[in-house]
Amino acid sequence: MFIEIIEVIISGLLNGSVYALMAIGLALVYGVTKAFNFAYGSFYTMGGYFAWTLLVSLGIKGGYYTVFLTAIPFLFVVGYFLEKILISPLRKRSDWQMKAMMLTLGLSLFLDIGYISVFGPRLKSLPDIVEGTLTIGPFVFMNQDVVIFILSITGLLFFAWVLNNTRVGMAVQAVAQNPIGAQIVGIPKDRVFAATFAISTIMVGIGGILLSQKNFVNPQASTGIMIKAWVITAFGGMGSIKGSLYAALIIGMLEAFVGYYLGMIHIEIAVLTLLLITLAFRPQGLMGRE
Amino acid sequence: MLKAINITKKFGALAAVDDLSFEVEEGQVFGIAGPNGAGKSTLYNLITGFYKYEGKIEFDGQNITGLPTHKIARLGISRTFQIPQIFESLTVEESVNLGGRFGSSGKYDSGYCDEMISFASLEQERSDKTDLLNLLGKKRLMIAAAMATKPKILMVDEPMAGLNALEIKQMTNLIKKINQDLNITVIIIEHFMKVLTELANPILVIENGSEICTGTPEEITSNPEVIACYLGDTHDA
Repeated sequence: MFIEIIEVIISGLLNGSVYALMAIGLALVYGVTKAFNFAYGSFYTMGGYFAWTLLVSLGIKGGYYTVFLTAIPFLFVVGYFLEKILISPLRKRSDWQMKAMMLTLGLSLFLDIGYISVFGPRLKSLPDIVEGTLTIGPFVFMNQDVVIFILSITGLLFFAWVLNNTRVGMAVQAVAQNPIGAQIVGIPKDRVFAATFAISTIMVGIGGILLSQKNFVNPQASTGIMIKAWVITAFGGMGSIKGSLYAALIIGMLEAFVGYYLGMIHIEIAVLTLLLITLAFRPQGLMGRE
Repeated sequence: MLKAINITKKFGALAAVDDLSFEVEEGQVFGIAGPNGAGKSTLYNLITGFYKYEGKIEFDGQNITGLPTHKIARLGISRTFQIPQIFESLTVEESVNLGGRFGSSGKYDSGYCDEMISFASLEQERSDKTDLLNLLGKKRLMIAAAMATKPKILMVDEPMAGLNALEIKQMTNLIKKINQDLNITVIIIEHFMKVLTELANPILVIENGSEICTGTPEEITSNPEVIACYLGDTHDA
């Protein structure tokens, strides 16, 4: 019994760490721009297809090392220029956040349909990042899960370091808190918006690579990922990075326990029940501001 | 040093600033007065690039019309706001350092940021989160962060609003020190005429976005149009 509980907790932590990596990107964009990026889930799928193209279609050398080394600059450039070309011009207009939401919804549909046009409707399978199992005492882990956990935690720590110790991170925090004050002290708000969008694209794209090699690359995965990321950010508090981190871990843990004790079919309803109860009593989420 | 040439800003049919021209010379404390809704804060928003406008503004001979706000800040024009614009989760020291890191065109100078914290009398609050400061503290902080950008011109917007008599005296002294000890040109919007006439010379008075007059404090306070604008038109009983 005790071992089972520990296994469920570990499973929850594994889920929670990847959820955190992906949901924090969404929270970051909302926190800085106050606009919701509906295309977020489509960049998850983009990560999966990027890895499939390199590993399976082109058969590049270096395996996942090459994939991650090239995916980070690729996703940054995609995110940065999509923001500059599509979203940035909207900011000159009134009520631009609403217009940005409409545009990213359109972008999401375009990308998802585009994936089907380019790669076909069938699921794509990626090679395992590692094979085999790891045994520690009575616990047996799939090496694949261990790597996903380590890379997700590394990604989160790197993100936290960038946010708290670099010039870009300071600028992002300043714009998130007070865009007017930030400009007055010389921070280029528009460039920070684009950089934020690009960083969030990297986070969800890397999440897409990690989970697609465990599951499949699915052209219709974006909606499920978008809903999951939204549920976590809404539960944690829209725009709160710390709130999203806690929310991701709580939801990861809830899913693991409900899946184990009640069955997988009840996972989604349990998560949504938690969300609705939280929002009913605390509409701003766990750590959001009113 | 700063020259506005026929600048106009319309919001729909309303001209918030209407064909206004003026020049601020180096070393001055240049006052701007006018009743509520006269267009004073809009004028600040035009100078600092928050709004687009017709006409032209030159700074040190360079046309700054159409430049984004952060570039204008880096050229040497900094400002504060009537409602303090602070970074709530940062400390006083971190907030001032933001100005030093991003707003200064030269290399980041942490020593200078420290000096500005002392200059604005925020030594004791250095490690405090900014949302814990009282109103005077927040106003001092805005000034210190603006000063950390090493501006050539500091524009302050109603710095005395909400302060008590003692605090007004402290803020007045701080603005005087910025101008006299640090040789920084100051532009000040202020409703409180007694303070404005003590600090500024010349003073530009505007109403409905247009100039009523520009002159010394004595000229301004004896100008019938200015008196009418503040006290209402006189009429025979």
